Amino acid sequence: MISNSPKSKEARFRLAPAWWGVIPSLLALTLFIAYPLIQVFQISVQKYSIVYEGFAGLDNYARMLADPNVGRSLLLTLIFGLCTLPLFVGLATLCAIELEGTRLERVVKAILFLPSLWTIGASAIGWYTLYEPDYGMLATLTGGFLRLPWHDKGWAGIALIVLFTIWQNVGYGTLIVSAGLKSIPTEVFEAARVDGATEIQLRRLIVLPLLRPSLVFLAVVGSLYAIQSYTAVLLLTQGGPFGSTRVVGYLIYETAFGTAPNLGYGAALSVLILALAFTFSAFQARALKSDL
Amino acid sequence: MIPNLKPETREKVQAGAPPKGTWFGRIVVGLMVVFTLLPIVWLAYSSFIPKEALFKPDVTIPVGFTFQNYLELPFKELIRPLLLSLLLSSIVAGLQVLIALPAAFAIRAGTNVLPLYLFLLSVPAELLLVPLYGLLKDLNLLNNPLALVLPFLASPFTVFLLYGGVVKLPWAYVEAAKLDGATNLQILSKVIAPLLKPEMTAASVLAFAAHWNLVLYPKIVLNDKNWATVQVALTEMLQKDPNNWGALGAAAMLTSLPILVLYALFERRVTRVIEGGLK
Repeated sequence: MISNSPKSKEARFRLAPAWWGVIPSLLALTLFIAYPLIQVFQISVQKYSIVYEGFAGLDNYARMLADPNVGRSLLLTLIFGLCTLPLFVGLATLCAIELEGTRLERVVKAILFLPSLWTIGASAIGWYTLYEPDYGMLATLTGGFLRLPWHDKGWAGIALIVLFTIWQNVGYGTLIVSAGLKSIPTEVFEAARVDGATEIQLRRLIVLPLLRPSLVFLAVVGSLYAIQSYTAVLLLTQGGPFGSTRVVGYLIYETAFGTAPNLGYGAALSVLILALAFTFSAFQARALKSDL
Repeated sequence: MIPNLKPETREKVQAGAPPKGTWFGRIVVGLMVVFTLLPIVWLAYSSFIPKEALFKPDVTIPVGFTFQNYLELPFKELIRPLLLSLLLSSIVAGLQVLIALPAAFAIRAGTNVLPLYLFLLSVPAELLLVPLYGLLKDLNLLNNPLALVLPFLASPFTVFLLYGGVVKLPWAYVEAAKLDGATNLQILSKVIAPLLKPEMTAASVLAFAAHWNLVLYPKIVLNDKNWATVQVALTEMLQKDPNNWGALGAAAMLTSLPILVLYALFERRVTRVIEGGLK
């Protein structure tokens, strides 16, 4: 039997015709996502630098609790998220609302989305040579006036990674808000205008509340950027200056694969972040459920 | 001025329109466009700066135009990684869509594993780097280009994207094909696949870009100069000589060309699928 409704509420597992279609995909996902997800726990209780050296019990976890870098890195990631999220959601919403129905809508949205696909190593080169504080193009051009001192000021390092993240992702956010905006029926605006609403009131009292599902979705996606920011960190600041951009993703990388590789400890850190990420997304799922 | 448009018609169109823009919003959007394009335009410009110009006190004055930077790009350190990445990312993008399509169809037909995919989608892949490294080591796949292919064969995201497309197809087509005696495989290749072309194109472009833009992962699993990918090569160039703007710009522009071409060809489909997939 072929079910006609894809959203059938039946909870029990069911095989339908063409069920074999999921086999290759599930096999690969089991081996390369599900199995590592279990194995990360196993490695986290092992003494495992570059090679397996034996059972470690909870040593790695004990070390984690005593390591000041861990708390600092978590705090830093939180700060990073708190800076990125409002900028990301705010700018994406503003751009989408502003562009809606204008002649330039398509071309501007295409431009804003481009950085998310652009060869990331090339983006890093562009950002580095342009924004480098001592001899970079912008600092040279403005005689040191527009200069982000990310070689020696922690805040500037964070600001650089935040800006890079916004640069990469604001186009995606704009597309999401734009989709939400287009799904608002025109009658709503008509009725509000007939009732004498001003353009500002339309935005505040009609558009923003009706965009809520899109905005919640953006918040979920945007908070993941905090975990994913390690690539930008690796490319631009390598965790510096003085560890002020060592976000959790980068900390795991440094711990497990850096100059003194320690896979066991890296796994324990991964478990901690996984636990935090899942708790966080469980809360978000609840928020999403009430909104969508 | 359009004379034959009656005033009341014009008013009606306006009444249903979204709120008008503000000057503040226009300025912000303008600044965002400048902010977005600045690094890209700068890269394009810097790739044509002659080497001598960099040693003058003020590089801001246009001092010349040269293709020399492009001609001097090293083969072993850049062109080879570029070709390798082109090959691997294309293979991964193709296989990902090929594997995801039957899965999306099976889910739509009623095999209820979608929650499992949604769960796997929510696992941040970066947190599995350590166990994945251990797994590849056990499988003897470290420093083997297969390490850049096998773990990416299946992607919950690609399945989800294609599923979003399959859901929108009128299921009557499938029923009709069934009545005519088509097998599931025939339905998949002759009915679903042609109708799903926009989604499949968008999914391939996104899969290609995602794989193409991996930095950390290839650095870790292919710790061998012979198997450097394009991102590893670019990172190394930047770290080795961050002041050689001309060469860096040329390398950056050349390695961005595949993305530019893909985007020029399929921008509309990609943005449409992202917008449409969320309604």
